[in-house]
Amino acid sequence: MVAASESMDRPRRRIDWLFIVGAGIVSLAVFLALFGPVLAPYDPTVATGSYAVPPPPLSDWPRLFWGSVTGGLEQPPHWFGTDASGLDVFSRVISAPRIDLTIALAANGISLFLGVLLGLAAGYYKHWWTEVMMRASDVLQSFPVFISAMILVALAGRSMTNIVIALALLYTPIYIRLTRSEVLSQKVRGYVEAARAIGNSETVIAFRHVLPNSLAPALIQASVTIGFAILLTAGLSFVGAGVRPPAPEWGLMISTGANQVILGEWWPSVFPGIAISITVFGFAVLGNALERRYDGG
Amino acid sequence: MTVAEAPPVLTASGLKVAYPTPSSTVVAIDGLDLTIRQREVVGLVGDASSGKSTAALALMGVVRPPGRILAGSVQFDGRDLLRCKEEELRRIRGRDIGIIVQNPRGSLNPMLRIGKQIGNVYRAHNHATPLEARERAVDMLRMVGINDPNRRVKAFAHELSGGMAQRALIAMALSSEPRLLIADEPTSGLDVTIQAQFLDQMWETVQRTHSAILLISQDLGIIANYCDRVLVLHDRQIVEDAPARDFFARPAHPYSQSILRLQQQAAGEQAERRGQRAGLAAEAREALVEVDRLTKQFPIRGTDKVVQAVDNVSFAIGRGETVGLVGESGSGKTTIGRCLLRLEEPTAGEIRYRGQPISGIAQHHLRRFRSKLQIVFQDPYDSLNPRWTIGRILREPLDLHTTLSTKAKRDRARDLLDMVGLDPNALDVRPRGLGAGAMQRLNIARALATDPEFIVLDEPTSVLAPSAVVGLIELLRKLQQDLHLSYLFISHDLTTVQYLCHRVAVMYLGQMVELGTVDQVFESPRHPYSKALLASHLFPDPTRRRVDRHERETLTGEIPSPVDLPRGCYLFGRCPHAMETCADAPQVLEPQSDGRLVRCWRATADQIGDVA
Repeated sequence: MVAASESMDRPRRRIDWLFIVGAGIVSLAVFLALFGPVLAPYDPTVATGSYAVPPPPLSDWPRLFWGSVTGGLEQPPHWFGTDASGLDVFSRVISAPRIDLTIALAANGISLFLGVLLGLAAGYYKHWWTEVMMRASDVLQSFPVFISAMILVALAGRSMTNIVIALALLYTPIYIRLTRSEVLSQKVRGYVEAARAIGNSETVIAFRHVLPNSLAPALIQASVTIGFAILLTAGLSFVGAGVRPPAPEWGLMISTGANQVILGEWWPSVFPGIAISITVFGFAVLGNALERRYDGG
Repeated sequence: MTVAEAPPVLTASGLKVAYPTPSSTVVAIDGLDLTIRQREVVGLVGDASSGKSTAALALMGVVRPPGRILAGSVQFDGRDLLRCKEEELRRIRGRDIGIIVQNPRGSLNPMLRIGKQIGNVYRAHNHATPLEARERAVDMLRMVGINDPNRRVKAFAHELSGGMAQRALIAMALSSEPRLLIADEPTSGLDVTIQAQFLDQMWETVQRTHSAILLISQDLGIIANYCDRVLVLHDRQIVEDAPARDFFARPAHPYSQSILRLQQQAAGEQAERRGQRAGLAAEAREALVEVDRLTKQFPIRGTDKVVQAVDNVSFAIGRGETVGLVGESGSGKTTIGRCLLRLEEPTAGEIRYRGQPISGIAQHHLRRFRSKLQIVFQDPYDSLNPRWTIGRILREPLDLHTTLSTKAKRDRARDLLDMVGLDPNALDVRPRGLGAGAMQRLNIARALATDPEFIVLDEPTSVLAPSAVVGLIELLRKLQQDLHLSYLFISHDLTTVQYLCHRVAVMYLGQMVELGTVDQVFESPRHPYSKALLASHLFPDPTRRRVDRHERETLTGEIPSPVDLPRGCYLFGRCPHAMETCADAPQVLEPQSDGRLVRCWRATADQIGDVA
């Protein structure tokens, strides 16, 4: 049995397609967040003057593509059409990651930082205030995330900062709990005792030994949570509790386009919808691949 | 014995098992040949990951996925098991070949009463009504020595102690009277006194049912005491096949010689060491560490009860001396070690280092104290930070306790690795790939980094393979001589204690019951518990087999709970020498005429003879 498992532990260099797909999508999203507005053929917040133009038929795409590369067209094509206000849908779709990803990453960064620190404290030092904190985070977690986010943003006002704060507040308990449970299992390990016997102070042990060995679950969760944060940001915009129009944001685009879908103008809503799906899928898959890699040793 | 002429039960030849991996195929067993004859107990020895368990399973035609049996044959009862149909194999397994695996509780179904489980196995292979199967289960439980089997058949696995669960498994394995029993480390995780009871029972049962046993173990004591013949598995093949006495007297293969080196040296050096110990006894007057009436209680949450882990223990350790602390699990050995390092605060009593009470050391002086007193833990894998390189692990104590330059620290780390017999150039490697023995050496190197005077060794060899144990014990002795270290050696392996220690303290339920020199305690134990502990210990010496001895110092029953301790002598109820007065009279440690301490009024009054 031992022989078997040890021989199986030899490094496996298999191509992990899930990881490649996830990392590819995430890199693309990050790339667009950095350069999307620059690459956009039109200003995503200024009306073009042509309203509710449908996207060109697929058969025209090669010609249009060639034309836009050589500069033979009088104006860049509306790849995804324009919406009822005359905004270019394609430009808005590729500019939106800057807002969506910034909100998701900032909210996750803050909650990861806070959650890991508080989780370490709660797991490593058992104290009345850490118990109070755990109960408080239980209460916070027991509300539906979407409703809580709506209420928080409604109270604080619709701005990017407030959305980030609201999401960070909602996600922190997840990281506290994950880190705490890992810390609880790590702090009784032999290497922690050994560090104590060598003469390290408790703070040094907590940060230098226990913390690095307790990070993995929270980091894996982060990838999944970023995906959900994008979804939540879009959801908030959809119900009108997100960023203000005309800021390019996927949920807002779906929301404003939704009224026209019944008139046959499907494009202002469908393209941002596809973009959200792909992005969330990418983050989820990446998280999955990371988790498997971590569990596999 | 005439077993050599008996017809073979099972013959394996050219057995080859491999595990395919995406990049290559790892051969776990390569050309294994072995024969097991009727009524024979065959021991299979080998290091961890030498393929012992793989071999045992392959003998039954089983292999863990994704492994494959590539070649060979296993003749059993005129058939080749490797070419049998699956249904035929199923009939043979359990009926003709029984198996006992490690981790008894994990092998029992938690949802079924054990009587039902034993009955199911019996009914799978025999025509029997449920009622008959139940009776069979009761008989089997009685045969394996479980008290009150009529009650125990209704028990669930979690209601049994580890020893009893193990016996239930053997009852299950033997219910159809198999002709061959394969026991894979059947006693790992059991305490020595329970282990001896269990192995006796298995040995006797098998003698009665005329089965043969293949006993797989890393413990040479078990092999020496119960096996007729020894097979050594090394480097994926059987490298030695010899009768037990020949194997222990004249091991032929270099690997066998290496694992038996400790025993042979111990015998040869006995005389020399006796003189050395006498010299040390005089020198040991200067006590380095003194433990004075140490008591440690752990409160149980939600009640006002406490677990009495350590109860009023006093002893001293001199410079350059090794004191052994022996006893079963739960006897408080480890707690004492942890109190010495101030990893645990004593409930009462005092520990003094160089005459100074350590509980009075303020936090900032504690660091200096920590550099002089060190500890090596039981589990080598667990005690190293998995993310750190060897260099960083060794640098940590140097960062804390010295002001050396970075380069000097690296040099020191190299020296330390060299001192414990590891490759000095491995500083940038993570210890993950090392074996348990090498990891434990690294733990020792870390403990030595700050030039300690005293090291607590908390069962440092308990998870190591036999060859690694020998190397580690030799290393500890060498370090003691070179660096003039003092050790507190906590162990339940009496063989290593005998080899390494000068004095030994026997612990039972938090109390010290006997303290004397190794010769005194090992050759003529006086306290009934020490006698029982030594009698249960399986010394790797086939000429002193436990099964050949007739009168045995054994204890009955199980260890009482450390929460509700007996009023009088803690051993009352298990002790064969107990008298009425023992029930109420707490025993005290009394010095004996030969200088040792014994906690038993009958031993003091010379009413218990030396039956060693």
